[in-house]
Amino acid sequence: MNAIRKRDLQGFFRSPLGYVYIGAFLAVMNLYFFATCVLSSSSDVSSVFSNMLIVFLFLMPILTMRLFSEDYKQGTDRLLLTAPISVWAIVGGKFLAAIGVLLRALLGTVPWLLIILLFGTPSWSAILGCYIAVLCAAAIFAAMGMFLSSLTESQLIAAVLSFALFLGLYVADMLSYSMGTDGLLGSILNWFSIFTRYDTFMSGQFSLGNLIYFLSLTGLFLYLTARVLERRRM
Amino acid sequence: MIQVTGLTRRYGSVLAVSDLSFSIKEGEIVGFLGPNGAGKTTTMNMLTGCLRPSAGTIMLGGFDIDTDAAEARKKIGYLPETPPLYPDMTVEEYLDFVYRLKQCKLPQEEHIRQVCTMVGLTDVYGRIIRNLSKGYRQRVGLAQALIGNPDILILDEPTVGLDPKQIIEIRETIRSLGQNHTVILSSHILPEVQAVCDRILVIHHGKIVADGTSAELSERMEGAEQLDMTIEGEPAGVLSTLRAVPGVAEAIVTQEDGKKSIYRITAEPDADIRHSVFDALSQNHMPILSMQQVELSLEDIFLELTETEAVEPEEEPEKKKRRLFGRKRGADK
Repeated sequence: MNAIRKRDLQGFFRSPLGYVYIGAFLAVMNLYFFATCVLSSSSDVSSVFSNMLIVFLFLMPILTMRLFSEDYKQGTDRLLLTAPISVWAIVGGKFLAAIGVLLRALLGTVPWLLIILLFGTPSWSAILGCYIAVLCAAAIFAAMGMFLSSLTESQLIAAVLSFALFLGLYVADMLSYSMGTDGLLGSILNWFSIFTRYDTFMSGQFSLGNLIYFLSLTGLFLYLTARVLERRRM
Repeated sequence: MIQVTGLTRRYGSVLAVSDLSFSIKEGEIVGFLGPNGAGKTTTMNMLTGCLRPSAGTIMLGGFDIDTDAAEARKKIGYLPETPPLYPDMTVEEYLDFVYRLKQCKLPQEEHIRQVCTMVGLTDVYGRIIRNLSKGYRQRVGLAQALIGNPDILILDEPTVGLDPKQIIEIRETIRSLGQNHTVILSSHILPEVQAVCDRILVIHHGKIVADGTSAELSERMEGAEQLDMTIEGEPAGVLSTLRAVPGVAEAIVTQEDGKKSIYRITAEPDADIRHSVFDALSQNHMPILSMQQVELSLEDIFLELTETEAVEPEEEPEKKKRRLFGRKRGADK
């Protein structure tokens, strides 16, 4: 598992893609940070983080599209499938590689904390909560994107499918807002919405239910990806 | 070392491999020979655990590939048709990755260096795979299969796309590997299989149609003699004259050219038809412009075997696996 994680992480930073990716993420996020925190002299980063998930919505498909599609195309999936390891190790390794890129991107936001520390009083628990929340929610996106990548040889199709799925989830979230939680459909959409749960997390309310939701949804898509790999042997 | 029984694979309604059974002893170099689409790659994918059979069992060195997957896979090194390379890595990084992926226990640096020397990669060790020539990439693929020193090597068309010099080099490497490994390689190139393999399995339409050494395969065909003749006369008349000659099994026009067509005549086993054909034609005033005996190479045998199968897709079960020393081909009809 570790070998695959390392290889995929390396592969990402072998091409300019990795740097462009993190560069684009930081450019947009720094702009947000400047507009919401620096200009209004606020030490509350939760609104920046709440927008961060939207940015990941756009960027995640580019990160996950190559995970399996590229291997299929190069024929390297043969190498992985004939190695004396389980499909779980393959799926886990690739997922952790994606998370590794996410962590590197998030590492680029550390200067914010220094700025807040210099000019204000940071609330460490709230900030830590924000980081955990964005990581959990982005992990779902990563697992979903990886699952879609495992379905196709074409990176482009994988990216378009993931983007459509994420956008669909976002639209469903907006729908649940406009419908309210009185109706059945509205409350179902609301319950399932990653974004609603994420915002609850952001607002400083830690709930075990939310954490379990994030982890189990990620787990579900990891499981589905492993099933797809098994199916390819069928 | 390898024991395959009743191996079958369906893709939807298409039967790619049908009830294949064979066993391969330790140290043998076996060639899978067959036209494109015969089921060679499918068989290899099943042997390596890339693909699950629809029916049948595969035992590799005593381990079932399905139930003892991890142990069985440790026994094999696989070079698929396109070598599974990561073009953005250097040869060194790639082989290190494969070493860790295979959870190899041998001393890392020494083992990788040994493999590189064996396949001739030491010159390009630090180069990025993307920039390597096709021949070198094939060698990296071969090196990958050799990492972990597996007992069994499965090589799918290892020389495809290489230039003649590289082909000879790779063949020599494979032959030297055969001293310590059991090797299965597939090919649709006959001289290659002839040059490298101890034993040949001819596969066609997912079945084994012949099994033996190249000498045995040639021997099998010796009875059926063929003549190529240029004869003057109306093709229809010439054909009916030829077919009426006793001992002629089959006569066909291979190149129609008005009154001077070229014919191929197949004799029945152990019959010398040259005299009787000459007599019959001269009686009918059909001058023979040339007559040549056709030397049957493995190539012809291969074509014969595979073409016969194509026109007889439905066979009785007892004819499924035609043994070399079984009935002569003529007797089947």
